[in-house]
Amino acid sequence: MIQHTFGLMTRPANQWRTIAGLPENSFRTLVLYPCIMAILPAVAWYYGTSRVGWSVGDQDDTIKLTIDSARQLSILFYFAMVACVVVIGYFIHWMSDTYGADSSITKGIVIAGMASTPMFLSGVVGFHPLLWLDLLIGVAAVSWSVYLLYLGIPIIMKIPEERGFLFSSAVLGVALVILICLMVGSVILWDFGAAPAFTD
Amino acid sequence: MSELNSALEHPTYNYKVVRQFAIMTVVWGIVGMLVGVLIAAQLAWPALNFDLPWLHFGRLRPLHTNAVIFAFGGSALFATSYYIVQRTCQTRLISDRLAAITFWGWQVVIVAAAITLPLGLTTSKEYAELEWPIDLLIAVVWVLYAIVFFGTIVKRKTSHIYVANWFFGAFIITVAVLHIINSMAVPVSAFKSYSVYAGTVDAMVQWWYGHNAVGFFLTAGFLGMMYYFVPKQAERPVYSYRLSIVHFWALVSVYIWAGPHHLHYTALPDWAQSLGMVMSLILLAPSWGGMINGIMTLSGAWHKLRTDPILRFLVVSLSFYGMSTFEGPMMSIKTVNALSHYTDWTIGHVHSGALGWVAMISIGSLYHLIPVLFGKERMYSVDLINVHFWMSTIGTVLYIASMWVNGIMQGLMWRAYNQDGTLTYSFVESVAASHPGYLVRLAGGFIFFCGMLIMAYNVYMTSRKNVALQPAPAAASAA
Repeated sequence: MIQHTFGLMTRPANQWRTIAGLPENSFRTLVLYPCIMAILPAVAWYYGTSRVGWSVGDQDDTIKLTIDSARQLSILFYFAMVACVVVIGYFIHWMSDTYGADSSITKGIVIAGMASTPMFLSGVVGFHPLLWLDLLIGVAAVSWSVYLLYLGIPIIMKIPEERGFLFSSAVLGVALVILICLMVGSVILWDFGAAPAFTD
Repeated sequence: MSELNSALEHPTYNYKVVRQFAIMTVVWGIVGMLVGVLIAAQLAWPALNFDLPWLHFGRLRPLHTNAVIFAFGGSALFATSYYIVQRTCQTRLISDRLAAITFWGWQVVIVAAAITLPLGLTTSKEYAELEWPIDLLIAVVWVLYAIVFFGTIVKRKTSHIYVANWFFGAFIITVAVLHIINSMAVPVSAFKSYSVYAGTVDAMVQWWYGHNAVGFFLTAGFLGMMYYFVPKQAERPVYSYRLSIVHFWALVSVYIWAGPHHLHYTALPDWAQSLGMVMSLILLAPSWGGMINGIMTLSGAWHKLRTDPILRFLVVSLSFYGMSTFEGPMMSIKTVNALSHYTDWTIGHVHSGALGWVAMISIGSLYHLIPVLFGKERMYSVDLINVHFWMSTIGTVLYIASMWVNGIMQGLMWRAYNQDGTLTYSFVESVAASHPGYLVRLAGGFIFFCGMLIMAYNVYMTSRKNVALQPAPAAASAA
């Protein structure tokens, strides 16, 4: 799996073609890819928020979460990431008919998971929470993921590029809606037991 | 002037007033967005008000909202509704003179707004800041608009009233009702008045108006635009005519109830807040009905998408419409609103509707409309439309993303507290933390604004006689 990660970062078009050419069995195991990759940001942010901490503006004292609170939030974060990939994957499969592609839920999850690679990798910034740096790297990672999505969908789904463009745009629309669900879900959970606890 | 334009006159239809409004849409779009870019820069660098009262954020912000909503959006609605009602009823406007009065009257309203708002003359009602003499003029112009529009429908040559006209009709009637009721005031001098409503009732009437300015001015009218220009540009019939009627009635009957979600956790009675929230959640269904109808109409035309940037404008505007009408109900949930209210999340939400939906569908429609009005086959340069498309999309995405990050961050910072119960952050720390987001927002808005300048050039070149069109992209034959 690790060669896919590097491949998607360095020579994405070739790597997508390699993935599309994988035998059925190896292709199916790639469903586990997001489950493994999502560990990286979860652990990074657990460490960063509970051990390193962050500061805002000119203030000197760093802000940290308590260990318990950071653990709870990191676990929720992990499941939220995996759930998002699975749901987006399901929607990719659900829409594929409209765009004349032959698909399965597995295929959808693999596309969603592989395209998220840059975002998973960028999660390591969590080890050192610094707002402007994290934002900068985050924006770069999101852009690369969107690029991967537009590149990968026509290749994996074996459809013409212009149809792939519409398909990818629709997936992006779904992803935005899920992002909003995630924001709303976090806010609601905050009120029901998962509010962060800060150290003094 | 009339001799110069006589070659452009259509034998049956009144294109003159449509042309006037279409040009002013571009002009006011540029003016309104320029003010927006300036106030976005002021939030990043407050010194940019130069200590002049009439450049203060508090006075320019209403100027920005009025200019983009009523001048840019309003002109686009006048232009497209006058065009669509003539084409779909196959008859000329009922009165050219009345139509001309609505054009000049509306321009006077806009200029009066641009003068009074920087001078600090305001009713302080959001999106209804104009003082009573201007409000009276708006009411008169609007009633004349209704007479022209419905009069034209009455003398139509087809038996059927096309669905786009339903949406425009609902928009015209409801905006008249909203404007007149909300602007009821007791004048004390030429430029000062007090609302006839008091306290909480005033707040509720204001947001009943405010939310339906969004619902009818910025949604129903633009859905009318969508129902004409999307099928026209895609050269396909509307996906489901039944769905269009169902979601029309659902939208019209539900939207009017959603206003109280602007007043969560205020002095408004709790039951009214909850009712507003429930109605806002129900509103998702008709909103998505419209979006699905538009997207499905377009989705059979994807072979054209590669060569036709106008279609891209339309499809992306529908995507943003779907996204923001999903976000809106979510933000109206009281628990969510407790965090999102008063943060930049709200501003981001408004602009995903305003830039992504309203502006982009207007721009796409104008690119379809302008060549028709000037008797040309297509716009001067299709490549420039494509450049404009990418600038609009990137600008909107930068704007929304930065406001999401800022909004969530502000909301979380304001409510974070330490174990001992003290607040983790002071307010000014949240302002300092918002600075990078403000810079990204400024960049996004500036890119969107520059796209409008490109549009203006393209429109100018299309309008000129004896200027050859740029060659169409070669990809048309490659597909």
